[in-house]
Amino acid sequence: MAGEPSLSALIDAAERGDSSAADALFSALYSELHRLAKRQLARQGFPLSLGATTLLHQAYIEIAGKDRVSFPDCARFMGYAARVMRGLIIDYARSRSAQKRGGQFEITSVGTEVMNAADDRELSRISQALDELAKADASLAEIVDLKFFCGFTFGEIAAMKGISERTAQREWEKARIYLHRSIRADLEI
Amino acid sequence: MSTLSPERWQEISPHLDHVLSLPEEERAAWLKSFRENKPQLADLLQKLLEEHGAAVREGFLEASPLSPKNESSLPGQTIGAYTLISRIGQGGMGTVWLAERSDGRFERRVAVKFLHFAVSAQGGAERFKREGRILGQLAHPHVAELIDAGVTLNEEPYLVLEYVEGEQIDLYCDQRRLDVDVRIRLFLDVLSAVAQAHANMIVHRDIKPGNVLVRKDGQVKLLDFGIAKLLAEEGNPAAATQLTLESGGALTPQFAAPEQVTGGAVTTATDVYALGVVLYLLLTGQHPAGPGLHWPADLIKAIAETEPRWASDAITSVDAKNVAEKRASTPDKLRRQLRGDLDTIVAKTLKKNPRERYASVTALADDLRRYLRHEPITARQDTLAYRTTKFVRRNRTVFALVILVFIAVIAGATGTLIQARTARRQRDFALLQLARADKMNGLNRFLLTDASPSGKPLTVDELIDRAEHIVERENYRDDPVSHVELLVSIGSEYMEKGEYAKGLRVLQKAYQLSRGLQDPSTRAKASCALSQSLNVDGQYARAESLFQEGLRELPSDPLYSLDRAFCLLNGGGLGLAGKGEAQESLARTQSAEQALKNAPLASDYQRMIVLVALGDAYDGVGRFEDSLAAYEHAGVLMTDLGYDDTTTGANMLSSWAHGLLEAGRPYEADKLLRKAIDIWAARAEDAYPGLLLQDSEALDQLGRFDQAASYAKLAYAKARPHSSFMGGCLSHLARIYIDQHDYPHAAATLSELEALFRQLLPPGSYGFAVLASAQSSLAQGTGDIPKALQLADEAIAINESAIKAGSFGLPHFVLLNRRADIELEMGQPDKARGDAEQALNQLNAALGPKMFSTFRGSAYLALGRAFKAQGKPEEARAAFRSAAEQLVQAGGPDHPDGRAARQLAGPSPP
Repeated sequence: MAGEPSLSALIDAAERGDSSAADALFSALYSELHRLAKRQLARQGFPLSLGATTLLHQAYIEIAGKDRVSFPDCARFMGYAARVMRGLIIDYARSRSAQKRGGQFEITSVGTEVMNAADDRELSRISQALDELAKADASLAEIVDLKFFCGFTFGEIAAMKGISERTAQREWEKARIYLHRSIRADLEI
Repeated sequence: MSTLSPERWQEISPHLDHVLSLPEEERAAWLKSFRENKPQLADLLQKLLEEHGAAVREGFLEASPLSPKNESSLPGQTIGAYTLISRIGQGGMGTVWLAERSDGRFERRVAVKFLHFAVSAQGGAERFKREGRILGQLAHPHVAELIDAGVTLNEEPYLVLEYVEGEQIDLYCDQRRLDVDVRIRLFLDVLSAVAQAHANMIVHRDIKPGNVLVRKDGQVKLLDFGIAKLLAEEGNPAAATQLTLESGGALTPQFAAPEQVTGGAVTTATDVYALGVVLYLLLTGQHPAGPGLHWPADLIKAIAETEPRWASDAITSVDAKNVAEKRASTPDKLRRQLRGDLDTIVAKTLKKNPRERYASVTALADDLRRYLRHEPITARQDTLAYRTTKFVRRNRTVFALVILVFIAVIAGATGTLIQARTARRQRDFALLQLARADKMNGLNRFLLTDASPSGKPLTVDELIDRAEHIVERENYRDDPVSHVELLVSIGSEYMEKGEYAKGLRVLQKAYQLSRGLQDPSTRAKASCALSQSLNVDGQYARAESLFQEGLRELPSDPLYSLDRAFCLLNGGGLGLAGKGEAQESLARTQSAEQALKNAPLASDYQRMIVLVALGDAYDGVGRFEDSLAAYEHAGVLMTDLGYDDTTTGANMLSSWAHGLLEAGRPYEADKLLRKAIDIWAARAEDAYPGLLLQDSEALDQLGRFDQAASYAKLAYAKARPHSSFMGGCLSHLARIYIDQHDYPHAAATLSELEALFRQLLPPGSYGFAVLASAQSSLAQGTGDIPKALQLADEAIAINESAIKAGSFGLPHFVLLNRRADIELEMGQPDKARGDAEQALNQLNAALGPKMFSTFRGSAYLALGRAFKAQGKPEEARAAFRSAAEQLVQAGGPDHPDGRAARQLAGPSPP
């Protein structure tokens, strides 16, 4: 695997604004997470909705472990991974509402409530709004990725970002305000 | 309507922060004053706050993105016999609903937990239900009952659980500011629940505060027992681990044990660890990995690798005052309270290696209870070497012989052989010192050039270790004989101290090296020393062949007599294998004695060692008179040589006391054992378990049951599981319980003993006679006399055949006495008389006519009662008088049976 940039290098470059590095990072993480998710399901039967955080832990250990130069900072890794997770989940939601079954993720729920088409569109809307929010306040967007899409708790998020739990909660509320307003605006127009 | 631009957002953000941090009542007022400064921003803020209100009301982004949005149709739905009422939570595993019985039959409300995964594998639903039913059988007041398990039509598994309304235990304790003792008592309730489950082979796997609730009435309830296992795919332990990782409350592995995190097996020890984390939390408010929040990856590493801080040390963080207040204490007081025993207990639950933790939840609970009663805890003892019971007891005293033989040799005592060796003065001196190490006379100055790190005098163990290292460092190319001899003496020293693993290792090495030598003395010594340690290790066949090999090496020249004596003594310990070993053992020891007599130079010390070995050997064949005579003689030599306050002396006392107990002289035995225990106490070491067990036996025979019980339990706590020593502890404990009339405990102990013996002992072993006899006494105590007699017969039969085969056996007269007792109760005085007389005959043969013995006393007592029942009052009184005399002389003036006998004897004849 000589010549391939390490994960840390990619993260560094992406943070410095290198957009192609950011894309490469996204793809690398996406395929990794996708692979891990399929493996997790095949092995243990745990569907995506429950397994997101474990997935990310595993991803960190596996992917980052291949990095021969340095183990990338877990917190920063998670920030990116969570963003990727968001993409995965939305893709999944789309595939599910398109009634594609078999070979992909399977979830059953009480009363066979299958997500209707509107739901995955709402998720997409949230995602777009999040991208907007990221421009205004990247930290808030990251919190939404971590909390809403990945299911980390405030405790974990606070530890990762080096802030207090109260601050994390407040940031979350702010993000919710922004997103709610943004989506409502979207709908009204 | 415009979306907020990034610039606008930057502007408004800090103000939004501020207003959100204010309590709701204050916001309006603040906004009003803010409006006076910045009206436009205030407007925006207001709108944003309204937005917030709407978002909260709608539960915007509350639910997981993939969970079903529309759950409004669920209330009222029936699942099995229950109707869903409302959703009460969403855990890592699934959603929980409150429900009640559809037919309104019982008032009770339940919690229905839906587990979000599909059970579509073949037979999966059936298996799930079946295992659920097994778990449901676990009934305990502190366990939330699993009422039912089932699968919905959509293949979704669910569990019906007892609905528990309560607070997490850590929050409960903090809220009410409960002090340490109260918290521990609450924790003990948790332990009793877990212990019960373990007894039913159910491991929780997911113990954490979130699963330990306390109701308003103070009742503790443990949730989700064994559910983690229920969820795992068959044969897929990783799944359960995954679940634990995920459902650690906060979806972190906070309460996972090291083996869970590294993918090892999950056992009851895993639960012990999790309980340890909970206890740590209750005592210190912190996680063992340290204060602050933990990023999962770091936490995993910490769990697997880092030793936790002492609990008392955790009360030094900035938050100490707050933590202490929640425990109704101050930081200093709290620290002091946790230091010492509680620290030790907690640390033992959190060991990385599952085998080093408390072996059971019950053991943990016992230590906690001891702590509450201010009694010494047992957890400290893992540094002590174990001594074994009499089964292999006779092995250990022999090793002392090796050292002095060697020293005598290199000091030039036995002529020509010495010139062949070039012993270096420093090492000689060091070894001499080592042999006298018990006396601790400035050893540290001599042996080592390196000082001990703390400046304190080195203990004997440290010295031996150092000696081993010195030997390793030295170059023995020119002097291989010394190398082997040194290793033999070091290995023997380890064995003497009970460090059997180390001893075996060193002696193996010595043997290997010795194969390259010609010198017969060294070769023989190496073979025989290794033989001895293999015996202790249970490798009987190899031990025996090495012994024979060693003996063959030695020429018949008197010069080699000492070596021969050494070999014979080492071969004397034959373990439990083979028939006729007791006789053979005696024969070999007697040969050793003879060899010593033939040696041109033998020291009193060596004679002493041989005498002790003889005592052991006579004991083994039931010739107690000869055995005790040998011990007495050895005791005299020991005092002369100044060894009687050393550990060698303590070992000798122990052997002697054993002989006395076998002969039924508990009063004297107790005195000797006290002395032995004191010797250890004077060295600031605790007596090894074998000694404690012996004393418990003496105390039991003396009628001091409560004390006997404490000692026996202490010994048991230190015993290695599945060892023959453990068997010894159990059999003593059972007997003490019977003597205390505590029949339930006795019964429980006996079933444990039976399981152990069936596992450990060959059929026909006298251990089964011990078992049967105890079961007989238990039956007698609970009133089932016919069964008692049957078991007594069985015990006697087993013992007889064991003795006839030449194997070790119980003193037969003890069994006869017990049977006589039962026969009297059955109204068969003739049989009782027969047994009592037979016992007296055997006692005569074993002890000689003159020795006082409580066993003689008991036999006379039974005889007296038999005579009385046969209508022979004169003979009865005579027998009672003899009984009284025997019992008082051998059992002390306070012996309970002695007093009874005296009364029955009536006034003495003029």
